Amino acid sequence: MGDSQYSFSLTTFSPSGKLVQIEHALTAVGSGQTSLGIKAANGVVIATEKKLPSILVDETSVQKIQCLTPNIGVVYSGMGPDFRVLVRKSRKQAEQYHRLYKEPIPVTQLVRETAAVMQEFTQSGGVRPFGVSLLVAGYDDNGPQLYQLDPSGSYFSWKASAMGKNVSNAKTFLEKRYTDDMELDDAVHTAILTLKEGFEGQISGKNIEIGIIGTDKKFWQAPL
Amino acid sequence: MNRGSGGGYDRHITIFSPEGRLFQVEYAFKAVKAAGITSIGVRGKDSVCVVTQKKVPDKLLDQTSVTHLFPITKFLGLLATGMTADARTLVQQARNEAAEFRFRYGYEMPVDVLSKWIADKSQVYTQHAYMRPLGVVAMVLGIDEEKGPQLYKCDPAGHFYGHKATSAGSKEQEAINFLEKKMKNDPAFTYEETVQTAISALQSVLQEDFKATEIEVGVVKANNPAFRVLSTEEIDEHLTAISERD
Repeated sequence: MGDSQYSFSLTTFSPSGKLVQIEHALTAVGSGQTSLGIKAANGVVIATEKKLPSILVDETSVQKIQCLTPNIGVVYSGMGPDFRVLVRKSRKQAEQYHRLYKEPIPVTQLVRETAAVMQEFTQSGGVRPFGVSLLVAGYDDNGPQLYQLDPSGSYFSWKASAMGKNVSNAKTFLEKRYTDDMELDDAVHTAILTLKEGFEGQISGKNIEIGIIGTDKKFWQAPL
Repeated sequence: MNRGSGGGYDRHITIFSPEGRLFQVEYAFKAVKAAGITSIGVRGKDSVCVVTQKKVPDKLLDQTSVTHLFPITKFLGLLATGMTADARTLVQQARNEAAEFRFRYGYEMPVDVLSKWIADKSQVYTQHAYMRPLGVVAMVLGIDEEKGPQLYKCDPAGHFYGHKATSAGSKEQEAINFLEKKMKNDPAFTYEETVQTAISALQSVLQEDFKATEIEVGVVKANNPAFRVLSTEEIDEHLTAISERD
């Protein structure tokens, strides 16, 4: 990958056994805009703040929540440009799976392959880790699922999770409100309330994005 | 036990600093400002106009060869603010990409697709150590078949947004403040108003009145979607209209 002069890994172990570049990548994620996801009994919702640098920016040109397949959506916290790269790679992987097996890719498989890409960039020569954490929401034969992927390439399945600036408050709020038998509508409501908690300024339909997937297995963005 | 900074390399190549920042990308933004030029773009109801300063440092230079405004295709224009050499490679690659797109898919490359392509390329430079980010902010303008007039801005970090109005270069923030006031109530500018807003924004921010030879103006209009650089006479007309208006 890249020029042979950089065929050595930039992410190397520190004397204490840490990979500092990954820690710094997580810091970059932590200073990104808050995003969160909640898994309900009959669906998943993901949401994010959409704070734009100026009122002159055309908010219809920005889409922070993207779909990877018709039944899998993703949101991020951290560096937007890095997110676009991962979305592109994931979409291609999903399509290659479909071409080979004539079946939509299961959520766990797509998450695993995307995480493998993120891990590659922590070990390959001449590249830095991705400065994003992803929340992948999908609905397949195993039901509704929510996964969080970190810059290191590790991923976990969550009932509810948050990332970015307001992560600790948001997670505390979610812990209090989450119930295992939550319905999708309740989950959407809770997601908006959680975003509102840490929101600077007036929350409105123009400065948040919501993505929802229900039992119909179709990921869609709520027009606000 | 934290090792602290990345062995001093975090300032030389695009790896993360302990605060999670990419210094090389931030320095690229500074290089854009250091070029000493300010550019402005405004999107109207059915047209887009971009304006930039034309500083010719030496009287012996051929003025016609000094430009920051480049046609990418017949219908797409690009205003590059920052390091001229980096701008030229970007323009060259963009022209190639737009031409291949037209050949491959049979229709003209839309503004947002080209902007995304530029932004994605810039992102690669922020992640791979072997290439530095380009010291250029690119404003892409054109008329989209479905969405109408479009103005996009792509920066060295790989961000790109559509804009109602925007600015880049040394007086970027002052210009954006000026434009925010003007565009506050979502006005639908006519072609003349669009051009005059852009030019008067530049004049106000730099606090000087221009001669027609000191600025470059590029436009696209819905009824004439070809990207056009205005001639000195046309610029003069607009400058006169602005001074009479005030």
